[in-house]
Amino acid sequence: MKKGDKSFDEQLITHKHTERLRHGFQIWPTLEFGKMPALGDERWTPDLIFSIWEQAQSGRPPDNGLEYRIGNSGGGFDRLDFKFLPKAEQLPSEFLPNLSLLLNKRPTGVKIQIPVPFYGAGMSYGSISENIMLSRARAATMWNIFTCTGEGGYPDSLVPYKDHVITQIATGMFGVREETIQYAPIVEFKYAQGAKPGLGGHLLGNKTTVAVAKMRGSLPWISLFSPFPFHSVYSVEDHKKHVDWVQTVNPKALISVKVSTPIDVDMVAVGSYFANANIIQIDGGYGGTGAAPEIAKKNIAMPLELAIPKVHRLLLQEGIRNEIVIMASGGIRSAYDMAKAIALGADGCVLGTMELVALGCTRCANCERGRGCPFGLTTTDPELQELVDPSWGSERLSNLYTSLSWQLRDILRKLGMKSIEELRGRRDVLKYHHKGSK
Amino acid sequence: MIQQWINSRSKQQVPLSYRKGEGEGGCGVIGLACEQRVAGKHLLTALTDMCNRGNGKGGGIAAVGLDPQIFGVDQSILNHDYLFTVAYLDHSCQAEVEKFIHALFEVDHVYKQHHLKSYESIGLEIEPPRVICYFLRVKKEIREDFIEKNSLQNAHAEAVDDEIIYQNSYRLNQTFYSSTGEKRAFVLSHGKNMIVLKMVGYGDQVIRYYKLEDFTAHVWIGHHRYPTKGKVWHPGGAHPFVGLNEALVHNGDFANYYSICEYLAQRHIHPLFLTDTEVAVLLFDLLYRTYGYPLEYVIEALAPTTERDFTLLPEHKQKIYQLLQKTHMHGSPDGPWFFIVAQSMQARHHKKAGYRLIGITDTSMLRPQVFALQKGAIAIGLAASEKQAIDATLKSLADENPQFWPQADFYWNARGGSYTDGGAFIFTVHPGMDGKASLECTDKFGNHVHTNLLKPPYVYTKKSVLAGQLPDLPAGELFEWMKSHIFHGEYEDVIKFMAALVHTGHKDEDRSRAFNVLTGLIDYRYPVGKLRWSSVLSLLNQSFNALALSIHRKSSQLYQYVACGDQIPDPQTNQQTLVIHARGFPAQGEGSLALAIVNGYRRGFKNFLIFDCTGQRFIGNGLGPNTDGVRIDVYGSSGDYLASGIDGAEIYVHGTAQDQLAQIMKEGKLVVYGDLGQTFLYGAKGGVAFVRGSAAGRPLINAVGQPRVVINGTCLDYLAESFMAGVPLKGGGFAIMNGVTFDEAARIVELESPYPGNNLFSLASGGAIYIRDPAQKIVKDQLNSGEFSEMTEADWELVLPYLEENARLFGISIERLLHYEGVSLKPAQVYRKVIPSKVQVLQEEEAWVKGK
Repeated sequence: MKKGDKSFDEQLITHKHTERLRHGFQIWPTLEFGKMPALGDERWTPDLIFSIWEQAQSGRPPDNGLEYRIGNSGGGFDRLDFKFLPKAEQLPSEFLPNLSLLLNKRPTGVKIQIPVPFYGAGMSYGSISENIMLSRARAATMWNIFTCTGEGGYPDSLVPYKDHVITQIATGMFGVREETIQYAPIVEFKYAQGAKPGLGGHLLGNKTTVAVAKMRGSLPWISLFSPFPFHSVYSVEDHKKHVDWVQTVNPKALISVKVSTPIDVDMVAVGSYFANANIIQIDGGYGGTGAAPEIAKKNIAMPLELAIPKVHRLLLQEGIRNEIVIMASGGIRSAYDMAKAIALGADGCVLGTMELVALGCTRCANCERGRGCPFGLTTTDPELQELVDPSWGSERLSNLYTSLSWQLRDILRKLGMKSIEELRGRRDVLKYHHKGSK
Repeated sequence: MIQQWINSRSKQQVPLSYRKGEGEGGCGVIGLACEQRVAGKHLLTALTDMCNRGNGKGGGIAAVGLDPQIFGVDQSILNHDYLFTVAYLDHSCQAEVEKFIHALFEVDHVYKQHHLKSYESIGLEIEPPRVICYFLRVKKEIREDFIEKNSLQNAHAEAVDDEIIYQNSYRLNQTFYSSTGEKRAFVLSHGKNMIVLKMVGYGDQVIRYYKLEDFTAHVWIGHHRYPTKGKVWHPGGAHPFVGLNEALVHNGDFANYYSICEYLAQRHIHPLFLTDTEVAVLLFDLLYRTYGYPLEYVIEALAPTTERDFTLLPEHKQKIYQLLQKTHMHGSPDGPWFFIVAQSMQARHHKKAGYRLIGITDTSMLRPQVFALQKGAIAIGLAASEKQAIDATLKSLADENPQFWPQADFYWNARGGSYTDGGAFIFTVHPGMDGKASLECTDKFGNHVHTNLLKPPYVYTKKSVLAGQLPDLPAGELFEWMKSHIFHGEYEDVIKFMAALVHTGHKDEDRSRAFNVLTGLIDYRYPVGKLRWSSVLSLLNQSFNALALSIHRKSSQLYQYVACGDQIPDPQTNQQTLVIHARGFPAQGEGSLALAIVNGYRRGFKNFLIFDCTGQRFIGNGLGPNTDGVRIDVYGSSGDYLASGIDGAEIYVHGTAQDQLAQIMKEGKLVVYGDLGQTFLYGAKGGVAFVRGSAAGRPLINAVGQPRVVINGTCLDYLAESFMAGVPLKGGGFAIMNGVTFDEAARIVELESPYPGNNLFSLASGGAIYIRDPAQKIVKDQLNSGEFSEMTEADWELVLPYLEENARLFGISIERLLHYEGVSLKPAQVYRKVIPSKVQVLQEEEAWVKGK
């Protein structure tokens, strides 16, 4: 191949952009404040975005003054803080608190344990590129945790990582086949996404490329809207039947149920438990890419920090808290958010946006328009997706995980706790900053 | 007057909040109404088989039209006294409750409901309440006082008594069973000639615990509940709930529970048990008793007629319905629901007293529902969540009484909020003078349905029949011979030749011939002379079961038999068929029939014959990818999700199927020799399917890729919603809908409309529907985002092979399909093609990708 050759030129252009982008990641966090190329908002502040970049680069939380723990939303996790013990009572820094989490707490079934209390959220082929999916799957495999297919099907390139890939069954049933259910150690029913409860997933025509349409069996360039409910599930005994179906296809699979946070989310959780769920994922309203409609994102579901304790409490009352795992998701931005969610009653967290930020997301919200993400993340464009190389991506995610684990252990030590399990439901170690008190 | 009734309730104490006590969704429901009193034991199998629709945290029954002897009263007391049934959780409060009762009522008789000594013996965890029935009348002075205080001088005395009873129960429940505090006793039912019993458990355990096996009634409903909250230790939340003379069970969930509570509160009605079902029956009672609406209007207020269906109502109905909708919209339950109501009809409201069973579905038909009718010497009507429950009840009846047989004459679904049937059916039992009752079946509008005079059914006799002499013919010819020879005489002829087939011997060629012939006789429709089809079919099915069971006695090269609990064997040859006796296998989970099939497949079996199904789910699921060459034949009442996810296998259902068939089907073939239920082919990717009858709601929803399906009947509504199956002429998917059915004489006849629903092809973006509509009955209004397109030669060439296969499978010839009102027409005159209307303009991106 030589210069002037079309594909050679294309490669060159891609190379140039990629280099820029990656180089930029290294220098951006060190730029003077006020000149940040990242966007962000009050919830995902530029500081948070930078610090995730930094962590994905170095595997450590930033030490240059960036606020990597909380955002500036004036509510939710941003008003919560930890009551750390006096230095003398904290555990020594060489002590390594246990972060592992058992994902099946029932007496029967396969025991799956993950070494850290988090895994990757469902993001579909179509909403993100295949290279991003691969980056996530490789990182999950390295860490012995999970990532999730989302609802757009199961690309063949993920099969080598199948022991670390959760198959999602969502209302559109796109790409769900018996073998994709059989691959999965965990099958996730997505009833709702916190970012757009009451709406199905949707992929606008612009991103439904030939390849995406092929994976989903639909026509290219036509918007794909999943229905808001499962049309075969209008009640809890239908849900039980749905679970029975999956367990007929794959009797070993653990069952995860992803729900948003309606007012009766606690009842939903109890119902899920009695319908054989191993994991209930409570998806709050702060997550979602730019593709989720703004009006839905911020106005429908109950805030995550209220939903978690509500669910935790009812499960305790029912005497079943220790048989089901609560995973919190939807706007977890830092190790601190994670620890707060766990202190409120969750067992662990599921990370979506945070992983995209680690791979270069600037929160520009241009996820669905035109060719999609300018950084090659939430795109289906064959050219743009080349901006992220899976080995580079997985390394960054792995670095992020390292940093998150380091911070979680640090928090536990400061609370005098020997394991992440001890933190669960310990609301007493949290304090609330009233408006103006900070 | 209505206002006075409502005002009379205004002094009642009001509960503090209307938060639903327990989340609730699913349930298993069954109801029956019969000309003769039926014993409770006949509901047992149906309820046991549906136990996966409940979770053991609430079960109940209601019985209407009772036997006075059981209670030790005479018919007059049973008819005229209120049967006040109290559940005592705390036995010590009996005296207090009775003081309450004696203050207002004359008690004519007291009956203590029998029960088992030990509740643990039938697996119950919580002791059910002790139940005492009081036959009582309102004291004269109490009635006069009530009339005086509420200015009800013009009211009917019986109506006043009803209201006193009703308000008294409310007070009693509030005193002894507050939803938030102590739970000592509550009123189970208080209507005339009806009783409700419920507990923390399953519906069938109610029958066992209270020893209702031989307790008889004209109308029964049974219910399993599935509350989502775990710790339920009191039975107050279980169904049925009562209004005054009606008991209601419900499967579903209201989204607007709070709004309905507000609506009721404005009328001084307050729920105490905090579940959807309670407010549903309070609504029913308000509309029926207080407002005095005829049943049709009650149903309209609950499940309004909407969209195009509304516009198709006669003008006078539109006027009334519009008023009803305007007035009661806030009290109309929103969400998925199916009600079954048992009602003791009082002569005051109707010309004469009687009993009835009412099934009502929500406008969008979001819950499963099946109705059935058997019109033998003793007619019986049934309604349930699943067909298998109906079949189980009929079988139980038939096992005991030769006047019944295990197959209904008609099975059908209601079309919610429709102008055609109104989404509700009513079975009414009219007791006759001579002690013989009569049953009629009507729809919401009061139209009698299934009135056609049927031929006499088969009545079992013990007389032994000599086996007939079968001609020595190969299967195909023998089938033709039997079809034309054995059905034109008496039932005895059929039985004679069935016996010959069943005792065909253990030789493989004889067995396989007998299987083929019997299967053909079950699958096809053909004239059966003066015999009744449902009787013939049940004889055929029984013979089939007997034949399959005979393999149990001796396996052969071609057939190997297993039943529940047996080890799945290895195949002895690769041709061998694994014959599985389905009865007894659990419907799902470990040890299920579905997993037995998977096990057999892993051991190398490719052919399966599953017979005597009793609602087992997931048949053919779990086989995994690339199952070409696998064939599963299913007989009996197969269950939900059959053929889901198959990838190459072929499944033949020799009878009517249930809900969620062929979900995410990828490749392979499904053939259903009957009707099927909700959400057929949801999210399917491909494969071919042939259905002899009709589908219920939402077939092909969200299907993508290249599924190709022929439905010979029609579907209720929402056909091919969000269909995305490419371009049919370029390999995409499509549905052919023929709009025909078979009449009693097995002739192919036109349905009234090939598609009665409002929504055809809603939000569809790919694929096509070829709908047989020679009379051009389908109008544009029904197409939500589809449009008619020209039916070209290429289209006909595309569908022709499927119609040919359809003709081969069901005997519905292409010639007949192209025939309309005595004229043979061209394909383009008969079939209309519907395609998605929004043809997306090619976008820059596509141009860009194509340019590469």
